[in-house]
Amino acid sequence: MAPSDPIPIETAHEDMIHDAQLDYYGKRLATCSSDRTVKVFDVVDDEPQRGVGQTLKGHAGPVWQVAWAHPKFGHILASCSYDGKVIIWKEQQPASAGWAKIKEHSLHTASVNSVSWAPHELGAILACASSDGKISVLTFKDDGQWGADVFEAHAIGCNAVSWAPAARAGSLLAPSTGGRAAPVKRFASAGCDNIVKIWGFSEETQAWVEEDVLEGHTDWVRDVAWAPNIGLPRSYIATASQDKTVLVWTKDTPTAPWVKTALDPSISAAPGAGATPGKFPDVVWRVSWSLAGNVLAVSCGDGKVTLWKENLKGGWECVSDVSS
Amino acid sequence: MTTIRLYPPLFEEGKEIEFVRSGRTLSAIPSPRDNSVAVFSTSAVDPQTLKSLNEKYTDSRDIYTASTDKIPTSERRLFVTDTSVIFASLQDFKNSNKTSDLDSRLGRSEQVSPVLIKHAVDYVKIVVDSWARASKPVNRPRPLQYDANHYRTLYTCLSLFVVLYLPEAGFDDAPVGEELMEWLNTHFIEPSSEEGDHLSSQDKPWQDDTFWPYLTRSVLRGFSKAPVFLLETLSRHPSEHLQNLVNYLSPLLSSHPRILQFSTEREFVVALRRWKERVKTLRLELDQVPEEEREDDFENWWKPLSNIVGILEGRLEIIQNICIDLNADWKEVCATWSIFVNHRLRRQDLPEVVNQVLESMPPDPTDLEDMIHVALFRGEIMEALSHAAKLDIWLAAHWIDLMEHLDLLNTHAGDDLEISIRDQYILSYADYLHSDPALWRITVAYMCSCGSIGKEQADQVLLRVPVDVNRGATGPSDVHATVSSGEVPEALRDVIETCHEYGRESVRRMVCTIAAQNFLRRREYGLAVSYTTSAENWTWLGRIVDAILAEYIKHGPEVFARSVAAVAPSLQELRAHPGADGVFTHRLMFAVRYAEFHQRRLSGDLQEAALDILTMFNEDLAPKMWWGVLLCDAVELVRHDSLMLYSSSGAVELLKRLEEVNLRASQGSGDDYLSVLMVTMKGATEGEVLQRLKSARLSLAKYYAKCTMVAGGRDVTRLRAGIIAV
Repeated sequence: MAPSDPIPIETAHEDMIHDAQLDYYGKRLATCSSDRTVKVFDVVDDEPQRGVGQTLKGHAGPVWQVAWAHPKFGHILASCSYDGKVIIWKEQQPASAGWAKIKEHSLHTASVNSVSWAPHELGAILACASSDGKISVLTFKDDGQWGADVFEAHAIGCNAVSWAPAARAGSLLAPSTGGRAAPVKRFASAGCDNIVKIWGFSEETQAWVEEDVLEGHTDWVRDVAWAPNIGLPRSYIATASQDKTVLVWTKDTPTAPWVKTALDPSISAAPGAGATPGKFPDVVWRVSWSLAGNVLAVSCGDGKVTLWKENLKGGWECVSDVSS
Repeated sequence: MTTIRLYPPLFEEGKEIEFVRSGRTLSAIPSPRDNSVAVFSTSAVDPQTLKSLNEKYTDSRDIYTASTDKIPTSERRLFVTDTSVIFASLQDFKNSNKTSDLDSRLGRSEQVSPVLIKHAVDYVKIVVDSWARASKPVNRPRPLQYDANHYRTLYTCLSLFVVLYLPEAGFDDAPVGEELMEWLNTHFIEPSSEEGDHLSSQDKPWQDDTFWPYLTRSVLRGFSKAPVFLLETLSRHPSEHLQNLVNYLSPLLSSHPRILQFSTEREFVVALRRWKERVKTLRLELDQVPEEEREDDFENWWKPLSNIVGILEGRLEIIQNICIDLNADWKEVCATWSIFVNHRLRRQDLPEVVNQVLESMPPDPTDLEDMIHVALFRGEIMEALSHAAKLDIWLAAHWIDLMEHLDLLNTHAGDDLEISIRDQYILSYADYLHSDPALWRITVAYMCSCGSIGKEQADQVLLRVPVDVNRGATGPSDVHATVSSGEVPEALRDVIETCHEYGRESVRRMVCTIAAQNFLRRREYGLAVSYTTSAENWTWLGRIVDAILAEYIKHGPEVFARSVAAVAPSLQELRAHPGADGVFTHRLMFAVRYAEFHQRRLSGDLQEAALDILTMFNEDLAPKMWWGVLLCDAVELVRHDSLMLYSSSGAVELLKRLEEVNLRASQGSGDDYLSVLMVTMKGATEGEVLQRLKSARLSLAKYYAKCTMVAGGRDVTRLRAGIIAV
C-alpha cells in the first residue's frame, strides 16, 4: 500500500477483535472484541467523523460477531457473545445520543457464536448459532413484539449461520410464471459435527425444516457464507473448516444436488513450498463474499487473507493475498 | 496473483511466525461500497487456548482498508469519465436503432458504419489528450498512476485497430499500405529529425557513420524529401559514378507513384509499372560500376546504394536484411512490404504476410504492446483482447464494444457461457470502476449495457450509494427546533434519476423506501410521505402516519402543527396516486386537517379552527380513537368568552358525538374512542377521562342554551354562519 492510502482506524479495543462488519453502504464499521464491547466507527475518508467511535456496552463476555440490519429497518446492529446473549442495538436520534439496547435475547444456554440478518424481503429476522447446539430464529414484528424459534441443529455446537438470498438463483433468467414468487426463507448452518445443514421454513408446519446436509469436511466447520446471486442460475455456498479446507458448494438448479469443489492454494503457492493440493497451510476461520458474489475472502490461521475468483472455466483462482 | 501489504505494517517484517504463534491471524471483510476489504488482526484459536498462549503479545487493534485495484486517481478519473461519454453515446445509438437494422448500420453489412468510425476516432482523440496531459513536464505531488508511455501505448493500439478494422466506406478492399506506413511513421518515428539536422549541417555528410543508415531508413519509410536533400550533397562526392547514379536515384525517389496521388487504381498501376522500369535501369547502371570503383576513401558506398535500390525494387530479402541491420522490427518489414513489395496488399492479406515475416523476426513476448500489434495484424482478435486486458482493462472493454458489430468475434466461442465475451470484458471494466465509489454513475452505465446479469450487478451498486445526508447534521435534538429542512440529498435525486434512466424500478422503490425511512427519522414528514408514495410502499405509509399522529401525543399541538405543515403537498401527491391505500390516505388527511386546526387555533383564527373540527366530524375524517381529543378541543373553543364560534346546529353535532362516546363507553368500548385522550392526559384512567367529558358536555349544553337565546333576539343568518359577537 502506498503511504497516501487511508490510514487505519484505531479501534481502541482493549482486547482481541473478533469481528468487524461494514454497514449496508460501507460507510460505517462495527467491531466487537473480547473486551465485551461493540464499537461503531465512520470509515469514509471525507466524513468529518472518520475514526471517531462509539462504544456499546452490555455484554458480559467476549463478543464474537456483529451484524448490521438492512437500512430500511433503521440503524440497527445485532451482537452475540460468549455470555449466551444476543443484543439488538438501535442508534438513537440524534446520532450523538448513541446506541440503545432495544432487545436482549437469552434463550441460549451457551456461547452464541454467530448472528445473521435475513434478506430484508423476509422482514427483520435474525438467525443465531450457539455452542448449545441450537439455532434460534428471531422474528421482529411491526408492533414491536418478537417471536423466537429455537431448534436443535448440530451436536456439540453451531459455529455459523448464513442466509440464502431471498430471490431464487436464476429467477431473473427464468421465464416469468406470472405473479411475484414468494421470497425464499432458507439459511445454512455450520457445526462442530463437521457438517453444514440447509434449513428451510415450511409454511405448512410453520417450522424450520432440515432440507439438506452437506458432508465433506472432516473436522469442525468454522464458517459458512451463502453467496449473493447476481443473475447467475446457480447457488454458491462457501464453507471454512478446522480441517484446513475451504469448500465451495454449487447447486445448478433448484432441484440439482449440491456439488463441492475444494479451493486449492497449492496452485498459486511458491514451487517447493510443499503445499498439499486442496489444503490450506492452517485452519481456515472465515469466508466472506463480496457484494456481487464474485470474490471470496478467505482467512486462514497462517496469518494471511487470500482473495479468490471463479474463472470462466469454473475453476477457482487465488487472485490476491493480503499480509502485513 | 497480487500481494497486498498493509501500511503501516501490522507487525515487523519477519515477525509473521511470532504473530501466528500468538494465536492470531488476519481476517478480512469485503466492503459493499467498493472493491476494498477491511482487514484486521483476530484470534485464530479458541479463547481458552488464546489465554494460555502469549498473553503479552501486543498487537495492533487497527482496522485497515486494502484494495486489489488501482483506484483511479484524478488524471485517470478524467480519462475514464471522458471516454464513458463516448461509450454512452454508442450505446444510445445501438438502443435507438432496431435490432433488425442495427447490424447493417453498425457494420455487419459490406461496409463499416461511419458511426462506429466516429466513436473509435473519438476514443483515439481522448487517448491523445491524455497522453499530452501526462507528457507535460510539470511538478506533480505524486507520480502519475498511468504515465505518458501508457497512453502512448493505448494510442498505437487503438489507432492500428482503426487502420486495420475500420476502413472508411469503399476502402475496405483497398490497398492498406499507405495507411499502414502512416501509422508506423506517426507512432514509431525513424529516422529522427535530430539525425537529419546533424547530417545536413555537415559539408561532407557521407563521411558520417549515420549517413547511409539515415538515407536507407528514410527510403524504407517511404520518404522522399529528406533523402533527396541528402543525395544532393553527393554531387560533391569524389566518385563520378556515384554522382551519376544519384542523378538517376533522386528523380526516382521524388516521383515514386503513391496510390493516394491517383484517382483510380488503374492509373496508379500504369504509373508504377513505368517507374519500376526506371528502377531497373538504375540497377543496370549500378551493376556497371566496376568493383574497384565502388569505394571512396572512407567506405564502400556501392553496397548501401544497392540496398536502397533493392528497396525500390521491392526485394523482400534485401528489405528484411536491411531491417535487421537497422534494428527495425517486423512491423517495419510489413509496412515496407505493403509499399514496395506488394502495393496491392489488402487488409485480409496481412495475416499471411505477417506470419511469414515473424518466422525470421519474432515479436517480443514480454512487450504487451508488441503482442497486441501482432495479434491485430494477424486478425487474432481474441488474442488481442486478452493482451489488451492485461495492459489496461479499459482498452479491452472499449475495443470489444466496437468489435461486437464488426463480425470480428467468434460468436460461437462463448455459446456455452452464461455471459457473452463482450459482457465479460465490459463487466470486468465496470468492476474496476467500482473500486472508486465516486464513479458509481458510470459503473452503472457500463453494467447496464450487459444484459440482465449486468443490470442486476448495477442494482447492487445503485442500492449501495449512500442516500442519507451527513448523519451528524441531522436529527434535531430539540423537538421545538425547526423540524423540516426540506433538503433532499443530491445523491438521492441522482440515484432515482439513474434508476429511471435504466428502468431499474425495483431499486428505485427500495431507495425511495429507505429515503422515506431516513426522512421519517429526521421527522421530515412531508418528504417521508412523498418518498413512500413514490415507493408505493403502503405499509410504510401507515407507519409514517402513525409517527405523524404520535407527534401530537408526544410533543403536543404546537410541535405537531409545525411537523405536519410540510405534509399537505405530499398529501395531494398521494391522493392523486391510483394505487394509494385508502385507509392510510384517509388517516393522513385527518392528520393534516387536524394540524391545520391547531395552526389556526394557535394563530388566533378561532372561527376557522372551530369549523375545522366540525368538518372533521362531518366528513368522517376523524378516527374514532381521536374523538375524545377533538371534543375536548371543541369545548376549549366553546368556553371562549368573547366569541360564539359554533351555530346551534354545530353545537348539536358536537353534543351528538359526545353522546355516542358516552354511550359506547358505557357499553365497554370506551377504549375505541378515548385511547388517545387517555395518553394525552398523561395516562389518565377511563373514569377520569369520562369525568372530563362530562364537564365538556355541561359546557356544550350551556353553550347550546346561549345559542338559542342569542338566536331569539339577533340575526339568525349571522348565527348560522357562526359569527356572533356577544
